[in-house]
Amino acid sequence: MATDILNGIAEVAREHLGWEGPLTADMRLIEDLRLDSVRLLTLAAEVENRFRVLLSETDEAAIVTVGDLVETVRRKLA
Amino acid sequence: MPETVNDYLLRAGRLPDGGLRFVDRGEQATWVGWGEVRERALAVAAGLLGAGAGRGDRVALVFPTGVEFFAAFFGALLAGAVPVPLYPPVRLGRLQEYVSRTTRMLAACDALVVLADARVKRFLGEAVAAARPRLGCRTLADLPTGVPADSADVAAAAGGGPRPDELALIQFSSGTTVAPKAVALSHRAVVAQTEILSGCWSDREGLRHSCASWLPLYHDMGLIGCVFPALARDATLTLLPPELFVARPALWLRAIGRYGATISPAPNFGYSLCLTRVADAEMEGVDLSCWRAALNGAEPVAPGVLRAFARRFARWGLSPAALTPVYGLSEAALAVTFSALDQPCRSGWYDREALAEERVARRVSPGAHDAHGAHGAGDAPPGLATLPDRAQEIVSVGRPLPGFRLSVRDPQGRELPPGRVGRLWVSGPSLMQAYLGDPEGTARTLRAGWLDTGDLGFLEDGELYLTGRAKDLIILRGRNHSPAEIEQAVDTLPGARAGCAVAVSWLPDGASGEVLALFVERSRHATPAELAALPDACREAVLAATGLALDRLEVLAPGTLPRTSSGKLQRSETLRLHLAAKLTPPAPVTPLRLARAAARSGLGYARWRLARRREGLT
Repeated sequence: MATDILNGIAEVAREHLGWEGPLTADMRLIEDLRLDSVRLLTLAAEVENRFRVLLSETDEAAIVTVGDLVETVRRKLA
Repeated sequence: MPETVNDYLLRAGRLPDGGLRFVDRGEQATWVGWGEVRERALAVAAGLLGAGAGRGDRVALVFPTGVEFFAAFFGALLAGAVPVPLYPPVRLGRLQEYVSRTTRMLAACDALVVLADARVKRFLGEAVAAARPRLGCRTLADLPTGVPADSADVAAAAGGGPRPDELALIQFSSGTTVAPKAVALSHRAVVAQTEILSGCWSDREGLRHSCASWLPLYHDMGLIGCVFPALARDATLTLLPPELFVARPALWLRAIGRYGATISPAPNFGYSLCLTRVADAEMEGVDLSCWRAALNGAEPVAPGVLRAFARRFARWGLSPAALTPVYGLSEAALAVTFSALDQPCRSGWYDREALAEERVARRVSPGAHDAHGAHGAGDAPPGLATLPDRAQEIVSVGRPLPGFRLSVRDPQGRELPPGRVGRLWVSGPSLMQAYLGDPEGTARTLRAGWLDTGDLGFLEDGELYLTGRAKDLIILRGRNHSPAEIEQAVDTLPGARAGCAVAVSWLPDGASGEVLALFVERSRHATPAELAALPDACREAVLAATGLALDRLEVLAPGTLPRTSSGKLQRSETLRLHLAAKLTPPAPVTPLRLARAAARSGLGYARWRLARRREGLT
């Protein structure tokens, strides 16, 4: 399940953020994926669209890495 | 004739279509009439007065786009206090940057209390603990209740309505952690700006103007440009949260079409985002023919984006005459010039060398050019295919609004004739009172009724063309940033020379928006490993500290960046040299240079000759 979510997020990153190359759980959104605030917003929105979940401010404050995002989505889908 | 923003609120709500329409992510709309906004504001005002807030106290507001923002904003005004809208946190991470920025802003405006959305409040703990506003941080529900909230009671408790020279609001001109500039605007200034804008959309011939906006409510174009004219005209304002627009820009265009909005502003970035992120399928059934004024301001206007936007969305009824480049700044409350409404915007091609070196605007094509001609983004007009090399296209931002005057001046402050490039000063009825708590900054900026905009430009046929900025300011996506916060982010990185970085942004020809560049000198003692890691480290550090992604980064030899005689780095000169491809290191230590240095003493020269012979160089 976590792998599916990671793959889904990788597709979102490719399609909407132009991210090329592999995406791993330990990558940090800001430092490693180089996402500025507009792109962070885009990522959050497109992840919500793809997985049909709603993230909340409390979830988001804790999200630093791709793995954190995967875990948050996994909890929402459970 | 209303004299204060409070007057607008107290008389609004008489017309059935006067109010706010909030559109959510499911495109469902919630309607709140101005009368209800007033009732809610009165309750907040009574609560603020009950909590101990009073005349002139600063009330910081941290709310997403929603009715609570309006209740809090107008509630503060009705209580005789001064509202200070601040940024809510953005999505995903960025909390540290947000906390430090908010702390600085709370201190800069000397806030008595922070009113916040319940969800936002828990992120404010650290900032509130550091800035320590006397009444702390509260949600609207935390305010004392039970006080009768009749407008006469509230006005009496507040010591009467505000005078026109009292402050109506404080807005921050740059969202910076280093030196936030708190622009203090009086009721007189805000009312003057509101009347001017409302005059641009007077209802006539059965046309009732209404506005749609996704702009943040802590931004001058969103608050002063959209909210107050709608309130003054007792008209409709359709609002989308800015984060919703960024996530799905099509919702903006769909809202314009669905609700028949005639006015909708955005910075260049908004138009550019629509070009890249709106799919044709999302535009099905959308009719944009109602859109009369697509105002484009708050950041430099890219001619290619204007053209591409007009061409792309013409299919859905967008009139090419709708696109309206404008110019303004928060120090002038908002707008200073508008290009002609209901007419295609104008641009011209100017000799690049003449602009930069002689500071003269010399046209290289006859007459004004219609910026909407049938050309793609960045295309040159027919017959001018070879122009872009030596010519630069600049869009007119129009003529001064009623009551405003423009003056282009040389560095000594003398007025220049039309066609000469200089520093733009403006005078008008809505200039700020001061930068709060910064008398030196105020004295530098406001002189004898004139405001130094720090922007560079020229006048031609009474219209303003902007060529760049003299002040050190980064403008990205409609928001101002101080270069210092970007430069300081890389200060302590291994391999970087401390205090030797310069951040600049500018609008390159044919680009869709401003680009951000950072120039960093490397340390003399940098190891090869440090140098190899430096570019990535710089990008990371800037993102982490400011949320901004660098478009260009150059690591330079020590001593490359231009400095003043006192050793201060010169940002605008750095940019000029970079654009001229003349940003080169000081002459390196070559044999020739060694020879020159050595030749200064005969002994040294002899040694140098000897050394060269030994190395087999002669």
